Amino acid sequence: MIQRIMTLLGYLFNSLLRSLTGVLYIILSFIFIYIFFLNHATPDFDYYLLLLAALGAGLAFFTTLSTANIANQAISYPLLVRLPSRVEFLTAVIGSSLLFTTILQWLMALIALRSGVEISLGHLLELPAIWMSVNILAAVLALHASDLAAAGWSRAAVYGVLTLLLFGQTGAVSLSQWLGGRFLALSSLFFQRGWTVLANPFSTIANWFSRDGGETIKSVLGFVFWPLRATAEAAQTGLFTPTQALAPAIFLLYATILFMLAADLFATKDLHLTE
Amino acid sequence: MIELRNITKRYYSLVALDQLSLTIEPNEVLGIVGPNGAGKTTLFKLLAGFLRPDGGAVRVHGPVWPTIGFKPERLLYPGHHRLYQYLRVAAALCNVPSAQISQAVEQALAQLHLTDVAHKRVRDCSKGMRQRLGLAQAMLGQPDLILLDEPTDGLDPDGQVCVMQVIRSLQEAGQTVILASHQLQMITDVCTRLIILNRGQIYYESNMQEALSLRPQATIIATQELTPLADMLHALHPELQVSGRAVILEHGALPLRRHVLSLILGAGYDVVHVEQKRTTIHDIYAEVVR
Repeated sequence: MIQRIMTLLGYLFNSLLRSLTGVLYIILSFIFIYIFFLNHATPDFDYYLLLLAALGAGLAFFTTLSTANIANQAISYPLLVRLPSRVEFLTAVIGSSLLFTTILQWLMALIALRSGVEISLGHLLELPAIWMSVNILAAVLALHASDLAAAGWSRAAVYGVLTLLLFGQTGAVSLSQWLGGRFLALSSLFFQRGWTVLANPFSTIANWFSRDGGETIKSVLGFVFWPLRATAEAAQTGLFTPTQALAPAIFLLYATILFMLAADLFATKDLHLTE
Repeated sequence: MIELRNITKRYYSLVALDQLSLTIEPNEVLGIVGPNGAGKTTLFKLLAGFLRPDGGAVRVHGPVWPTIGFKPERLLYPGHHRLYQYLRVAAALCNVPSAQISQAVEQALAQLHLTDVAHKRVRDCSKGMRQRLGLAQAMLGQPDLILLDEPTDGLDPDGQVCVMQVIRSLQEAGQTVILASHQLQMITDVCTRLIILNRGQIYYESNMQEALSLRPQATIIATQELTPLADMLHALHPELQVSGRAVILEHGALPLRRHVLSLILGAGYDVVHVEQKRTTIHDIYAEVVR
């Protein structure tokens, strides 16, 4: 299995490197570094960490889309038929785009040091964990956006849930108020009909939604994005608390769940590769 | 080896395979012919595991799913790769041990007369070379089942002979080959079993030898109209027909051909042509598909 994945990884990496989009990503990375680092001196480590993390995430997302596009062409039929499991193919797609991203990101990180950023050994040890976990999550998210892994409405479902979680936080209080109103109306209805067994719990739920519900929904939805906030906060303070240090692990957990979903979709769908 | 039972595959409202049942026996060369859109490529993609049936079941007779090599109809291979590089990738994917990859690739290149162009990039190769590259990658690693979709399309006569020899050698090595082609002569020459697919269904299925021995025909043509002899000749056998200057003897009447010939000559007619014809796949195909 390792031999097959490594062979495919090399094959896809080679294909991406020789493609026009591969060259474009390299040029765009240099432009990014020039604009944000070489153009002016920036000694701040948090600036360095966050901007290069953003570069890595962007690269991981778009290179995965490109690699998945290469893999989704009919030239893959003779290779795919040899694999005992399609998941090996998906692993190679992710692996090759992450390899491309990591090489480019670290190369850019080295060049960015010319802007005068001071990095201690402690800082240096933080970088791989943060950058890699963000890259992996971005790559897996891109997989769900690609034609290769998406099946039916899966793309809409994954990104729809993500959007709901993102924007649900801002609308949590009004949503809670609305739900409180609906439950109160139901409670009154049950009370009028003499169904006190139902009216009382509905009244309690309505009260909860009206008072604490908004904040609770907000924190539940916000928890999903906690690793992102924790990483940004820790980068700004220059120190990771033990809790904040868990953020990369949470990113990897999300990535694992999303990859398992993508693998399941890819393994069970009809493959109509682009000719 | 593999049994397909009542397989149905639809693309929206189009039924590509309709309740198709087929058993693939080990070590056979199964030829599939049929008009465009008959369902051949869908059947191949289903056997290769790229498509899932909407109905029916695919069963494997054996403890493990057979290993499969596939040459698709469209000759799409990565253009920037050199032939040997691409074959090395294919070999590594079919579990050829690392130490034996070079040897396996060289062997495949030699078998398909590609050794001289092994360092050529795929994008610089002719259609014939790509066709042979497709076959080379499909046979690497000695898979149990090799699916060849139009393996001789675009090949010159020498290339066609080469491919046919390779298919025969694969069967001799104990491998199973399924090939789809519009080249009926090639199907006749290399296949051990024939299937005619049309509108997603099997219209005809037969062992190749049996198919070719079906309804042989002999024709005797005289210089003059044979109508005066018609009653006498027809009385010999119901499968004997007189049509103008010709007497046609079908299957059951064939043993009488010498007797019929002597009767015609004895009656003072001159015979200008005697022909004995075997049934061809083209005859069967034309009859079945029509």
